[in-house]
Amino acid sequence: MKIETKALEALLGENHILKGIDFEAGDGEFVGIIGPNGSGKSTLLRCIYRVLAPAGGAVFLEGKKLQDYSVRQSAQKMGVVAQHNYYNFDFQVREVVLMGRAPHKRALDRDNAEDYHIVKKALEKVGMSEFAERSFSTLSGGEQQRVILARALAQQTPCLILDEPTNHLDIQYQLQLMELVKSLGKTVISAVHDLNIAAMYCDKLWVMQNGTVIAAGFPEEILTPTLIRRVYGVEAELCRDSLGQMHILYPCVRR
Amino acid sequence: MLTAALLCSIVLAVRMGSTDISGMDILRIVMYKLFGVGDPELYGSGAAADIIWFIRLPRLVLGAAVGMALAVCGAVMQAIVKNPLADPYILGISSGASLGATLAILLGIGAFLGSNFVGVMGFAGAFGVSLLVILLSNIGGRTNSVRLLLAGMALSSVCSSISSLVVYFANDKEGMMSVTYWLMGSLAGAKWEQIAFLLPFVLICCLFFWSQSRTLNLMLLGDEVSITLGTDLHRWRLIYLLISSAMIGFVVYAAGMIGFVGLIIPHVVRMIFGTDHRKLLPVSGLLGGILLVWADVLCRTLIPRSELPIGILTSMLGAPCFVYLMAKRSYGFGGEKDR
Repeated sequence: MKIETKALEALLGENHILKGIDFEAGDGEFVGIIGPNGSGKSTLLRCIYRVLAPAGGAVFLEGKKLQDYSVRQSAQKMGVVAQHNYYNFDFQVREVVLMGRAPHKRALDRDNAEDYHIVKKALEKVGMSEFAERSFSTLSGGEQQRVILARALAQQTPCLILDEPTNHLDIQYQLQLMELVKSLGKTVISAVHDLNIAAMYCDKLWVMQNGTVIAAGFPEEILTPTLIRRVYGVEAELCRDSLGQMHILYPCVRR
Repeated sequence: MLTAALLCSIVLAVRMGSTDISGMDILRIVMYKLFGVGDPELYGSGAAADIIWFIRLPRLVLGAAVGMALAVCGAVMQAIVKNPLADPYILGISSGASLGATLAILLGIGAFLGSNFVGVMGFAGAFGVSLLVILLSNIGGRTNSVRLLLAGMALSSVCSSISSLVVYFANDKEGMMSVTYWLMGSLAGAKWEQIAFLLPFVLICCLFFWSQSRTLNLMLLGDEVSITLGTDLHRWRLIYLLISSAMIGFVVYAAGMIGFVGLIIPHVVRMIFGTDHRKLLPVSGLLGGILLVWADVLCRTLIPRSELPIGILTSMLGAPCFVYLMAKRSYGFGGEKDR
């Protein structure tokens, strides 16, 4: 599914966070958004997944304005895994994942065998089947994040939006989660903190700075020492390992 | 099973009271009243029939309805404001009700509303304040749980200061006593005409909320997550608030304020059955009904020839049970659990 934004503007209070973003993610593409803290990555994603109303411009799903979809319809198109998932009340893991079926349900519909089957498959996919009966709040951060991913999978959407999903996760879970998302073949838009992870998994990269997009393209075009210096203000070296995989190294400044 | 328990409770509770009436007689009286079966001389009139039909039974049915309403509204309110400390009275309903009652008792406002004008004013206060809370929290932005709570607190303190002002200038000891007594809650005023309206209303509202379980679950996840899961909570929150305010308003009208039921029952049920509203709401409702039926029996029988206000009893018994459960079970009350 194709997602675009045109001249997207967003305000948070008085602050002009997004200053006219033209963004595009093609069908089946894994698109990474990189940039320093405060560059507007999350704000852009929040506009796309509809919790923030743009001050100007618009988001388009398959060429149609996001506002022209009902909230229910847009939730059938996009599943979201965001950074922070802390709940005041304690749900069972299975109940959390089952809520992913909500966009496909009318008020009086009961959850049927098919829903439970979808939930079971989603939990299997993220390797959390044994945890189905556990209470969500007793899980570790990495496990919780995987459950939230399972919920997004249960939504059965053509597109996934990840808002720095691997924040606070151990490297093992970071790689696991990205690997899993990549294997789904869906359109994925993800804010990524770690440039090495961005290089490993993203088909395209968009670079944001101060609320504008300053570059976009394939990872190998984007991740150059010059750009990294310009955007992040640090020196970086690039090298390729024997498999041709790109790695970004940050030489010690005090050397 | 719980439905059966509730019905059994009512049947058993009917027997208990200062006059001993045998189970068979009760059955015959009820059969006669409902279906016209049996001897009208024996069961249609007389002291036993009157006690059962006009005093005990209406109280118990009212108790069941009130308990159900309080417990379900408690669970719904906790979802609406996304806060485990909420109870049905939290959004200014209690202080609105007491303001209404104070005005009625001390200043005689609303006397034209008939014999139960105190109850009517209590209802008006409770419902009026919750409407105001909803309105206030919508000014200058969309409602969310924090705005609701803050608006509720602000209006609460306005209402209670007005109540205090009235009490201060009225200087009427007897009136103050009756305000206090009224606020402690009682099922003694139960009448069939009241129940004929209240019970169906409560049942319909409870069924409605039950049908909304999925949305209520989403409310606990918050506005943003709900949007990504296809539900904009804003509109639903207003609808639920209106309905539960009306329910609680009627409960206040019929029985004054009965504390603690709406707070603890949902928590007790969550401890045992989990947070999913599909189970939480029906179980809470039935348990709330059972609890109030028995609390009322205790109120009537604990002190001979006298009656304890039911609000005092529910709080006095409820709090220790609750603390016990809290200590015994690993229940997080929504906070982080100790690992």
